[in-house]
Amino acid sequence: MLERRFNPITGEWVMISSSRQKRPNLPKDSCPICPGVLELPGEYDLVSFENRFPALKKDAPNVENNSNVLIKDKSQGICEVVVYTEKHNSELSYMPIYQIEKLINMWADRTKELSSYEFIKYVFIFENKGKEVGATLPHPHGQLYAFPFLPPRIQLKIESLEKWYSEKNSCAICDIVKEEKEQNERIVYETENIIALVPFYARYPYEVHVYPKRHVETIYELSNKEKKEFAEVLRVITNKYNGLFNMPFPYMMMFFQKPFNINKTTHFFHFHVEFISPMRGPNLIKWVASVESGTWAFINPIEPEQAAKQLRDVEVKLDEI
Amino acid sequence: MNILNNYFDGEYLEFNKDNYSIKLKIEKIPEGYIIRGKVKGKLGKIDIFDDFADEDLFINNWQSWSPTKKIKVLNYKYNIPDDWKKTAKYSAHPMPEYLENNIISDYFIAKKNKVYGFLTSKIAHPFFEVKDNKIIACLEYFEKNADEYIDIEPLIILENNEMEKLLEIYADYVKFENNPKFSKWNPVGWSSWYHYYEELTWQDTLKNLELSKEYNYEVFQLDDSWQKDIGDWIPKDSFPGFDIIANKIKEYGYIPGLWLAPFSVSEISEVFLKHKDWLVKDENGEPKVAYINWRKNIYALDTTHPEAQEHLKNIFLNMRNNGIHYFKTDFLFAGAIPGKRYVEVTPIEAYNIGMKIIREAIGEDFILGCGAPILPSIGYVDGMRISADTAPFYKPNDLDFVYPNAYYALRNVITRYFMNGKWWWNDPDCLILRTEDTELNDKIIEMYSYVSGLLNNMILQSDDLSKTIKKDVYFNSLKLRGGIPHVKGLMNDNYSFEIEAFNTNIGNVKMHVDLEKINFKLEYDEDYPQLNKNTVLREEDNRLFHYYEERDNNA
Repeated sequence: MLERRFNPITGEWVMISSSRQKRPNLPKDSCPICPGVLELPGEYDLVSFENRFPALKKDAPNVENNSNVLIKDKSQGICEVVVYTEKHNSELSYMPIYQIEKLINMWADRTKELSSYEFIKYVFIFENKGKEVGATLPHPHGQLYAFPFLPPRIQLKIESLEKWYSEKNSCAICDIVKEEKEQNERIVYETENIIALVPFYARYPYEVHVYPKRHVETIYELSNKEKKEFAEVLRVITNKYNGLFNMPFPYMMMFFQKPFNINKTTHFFHFHVEFISPMRGPNLIKWVASVESGTWAFINPIEPEQAAKQLRDVEVKLDEI
Repeated sequence: MNILNNYFDGEYLEFNKDNYSIKLKIEKIPEGYIIRGKVKGKLGKIDIFDDFADEDLFINNWQSWSPTKKIKVLNYKYNIPDDWKKTAKYSAHPMPEYLENNIISDYFIAKKNKVYGFLTSKIAHPFFEVKDNKIIACLEYFEKNADEYIDIEPLIILENNEMEKLLEIYADYVKFENNPKFSKWNPVGWSSWYHYYEELTWQDTLKNLELSKEYNYEVFQLDDSWQKDIGDWIPKDSFPGFDIIANKIKEYGYIPGLWLAPFSVSEISEVFLKHKDWLVKDENGEPKVAYINWRKNIYALDTTHPEAQEHLKNIFLNMRNNGIHYFKTDFLFAGAIPGKRYVEVTPIEAYNIGMKIIREAIGEDFILGCGAPILPSIGYVDGMRISADTAPFYKPNDLDFVYPNAYYALRNVITRYFMNGKWWWNDPDCLILRTEDTELNDKIIEMYSYVSGLLNNMILQSDDLSKTIKKDVYFNSLKLRGGIPHVKGLMNDNYSFEIEAFNTNIGNVKMHVDLEKINFKLEYDEDYPQLNKNTVLREEDNRLFHYYEERDNNA
C-alpha cells in the first residue's frame, strides 16, 4: 500500500508505505550501493537515485476517498537515495572537502530539478548516520524526500519566520546570526560566510545549526565560495562529533530550505542545516519519549553554552583528515 | 456601524460616491497590505487610495514598448513630439490625452521604500496619478454600467528599505493572484526583423536557415514581411504556404515561428474592405483608428463580435494546423482601445476576450506578447517583450518614448527584470551581433547581450548570418542564463546598475553596468567543481538514476 492519510486532530499527513517494511537490514556480505553490487552496476563518482522502497512515488497509485472524515490521498512525490562517494569506508567527516563540494552541487541540482515539478511543495535533504538513528547502511549516503505537501514542522518554521518578518521587517535567522556573533557563547565553528553554533534554543544536547550568513532561501543560491566553506563546515562539525566522545557519533543532518510551488511569499525563509544526535554523553542516549513525542516540548539536559564549548574544544585539523 | 461616516459591515468599509457605491477591505500581509473591494454603479475613473509622493518616483507605462524608469517629479514632462502623437494614438496609452497632461504610472509605482501596485487588470485599467505631492491609485472603468457589485482590481502596498526587493515581492503577489501557466521553455532562437525588417524574402530565409546550423537555435521566427497585409494573415505571393514554411524550418530541427498583429487591421486589407462591422467604432459608428503605421491607418478588431472572434480563432488554427508553433503577437494594445463594440464591455475585458481566443486556438504553443498591455496579458502569453524596440544604434540623448533605440531598450530590460519567470519569460528584444550594417560597437553588443543572458531572458538573435557575427558573445550570453537575478540601482540618477545572478550556468556572476558611460564589468565566482549529469532510466522498475561526475573540461 502506498498512500497518505490525514489526521484531522493534528492536521498532519501520514505516509503509509508498506513496501518499506521489506527493506533489508544490514546486508551480511555486500553493500547494495557499492559499485557493481545491487543498485549501481558500474563505477561512479556521486549518484542520486529513486528509492527502491519509497514513501512517495512520482507515479503513485490513485487512491479513492470513501469518507469525509477518514481522508486519504495519493503519495505523489519523490524519494531518492543520495550516494556521496563510491568509497564504502568513508563518511562526511573523512571525505575530501572537494568531494563534499561536489556533493553540495549535486544537492543543489537535485533541489532545482525536483522543485520544477508543480506537485512538489518541499525538497527535504537529510542524512541518518549510525544505527542509533536507524541507518541501515554504513556506506556514506543520505536521502531526499520531495513532498507534495508541507510537513508540519516546515509549516511551523514558515509561520514563525513570517510572523517575525511581519513584526520586525527582518529575517529571524539573519537577526539570530548577528546576535550570536555579538554574544559569542555558542559558536562552534565559523568561516567568513558560514556559521555553526549550538542554538540558544537547542532541543537536543549536542544540536548544531549551520547558517549561511547571507540571506539565501535555497541551497542553490549559495555562491561557489559559500559552497566551499559550507563543505568545510559540514566536515568540521561531523569530525567534532566523532571527537566528542571518541566514538563514531550518530546524527541526523537535515537541510531546510524554502518551499516551492505554493501561492505564498516565503522570501523570509533562510536556508539552514540542523544536526541533531540522540547522544547526551558517552554511551548515554537522550530518548525522545512521551513528553517530546507527544507534545513536541523538549527538555534539554545540557546547557547549549556548555555543549558549544565542548564541541568548540574538540580539535580538528583539516589538513590531516 | 459607521466609521468616519462610512458604513462598516464587519468586513467591508462601505461608502457612496456620485454615481457609484464602493466597499473596501484591508488585508494584512507580511510585507504590507492588500486592499480588495467591490463596486457598482455607473463607473468612470475611481480613486481608491492615496499616499504621499517622494521627489523621485519609479514609474511604468502601460505596454511593452513603454518606459519603466525613475523620474524627478518636479517639472516632469513626457516630452512626446506632436507628429508622433498623431500617429501613436493608443500605442501611447488607452487614454492618450490623459497621459499628455498628467504624471501617471500604469499598474504600479514606487518610491525608495514603498511599492504600490495593482494585482490584476481584468475589467478596469489600473493606474496611479501623481498630483499635489500625492500618489493616487485610480481605476478607469470607461463608463461601465455595473448593476451588481463587481470585484475591483486589488491594490497592494509594500514597505521595506529596498525597493528592488519590493518589486520582486510585488511580482510574486501578482503571480499568486493571476496564477499564470506559461511554458517552462525559455526560448533561444533567430528572428528576421533587425536586419531584414519588411524586406525579408523566402530566399533570405533559406539562406539563413542554412547558415544557422552552428548556433543551435531552438526557434526560427520570420517577422513582419511574409503576410499579404496587416489583418490579412496569409502568406503573400512571394512566400510559400504555411506548411512549406513550417516544414522547411523543421528540417533544421527548429520550431517554426511567425510574427503577426492579430488585433490590427489596415485600411487597405480585405478584412477592412469587407468587414467594417468587425472593427471597434467611434461615437459616430465609424471604424476607429487605433494607430498609424506602415503609412496606413490601422483599425482594431472587435474581439466581442462573433464573426470577428471566429476569424481570429481561424487565423491561429490555420497557422497551427500547418505547423507553426511559435507566435510573435505584436501591436496587441489594439485589442484594448476604448470604443464601441458589439458587446458592451470595457476595453480591458475586450482584450481579455481576444487573448483567450488566441490561447485556446493554439493550445500550449508558445505566444510571445509584444506591444501589449502589461497586466492584462498575464496568463495568456509565454513570453513578453518588456522594452521598446532595440535597434542597430544606441542614442542616449534621444527622446525616451517607444522609439526603437538600443539604449532605452536595454534600460527597460533592466527596469522590468522582476517580471521574468514569474509572469512570463522576459523578451529583451533581439540581440544584434553583427559587426557590419550596424552602429553598435563591440562594447554595446556585449553589454546588451550579457545583461540579457544574466537576467535569464529569452535570447533571439537577429542578423543576416552571412555577415561577420560576434558568435562568441552569443554563446557567452547563453552561459550566463539559468540563474536567479537581482538588480540594484533602479533609483540611481544615472543608468548604472548592479546585477547579481545566483546559480547561472557558470555559477554566481555579478555585473556592474553603466548604460550612459557604455561600460560594464563582469565578476565571476570562484572556480568550483563542474559536474556532468547523466540520467538513466532503469527499465526493470522504472526508477531514475542521476549520475554526477566531474566534467572533463579538457575533453
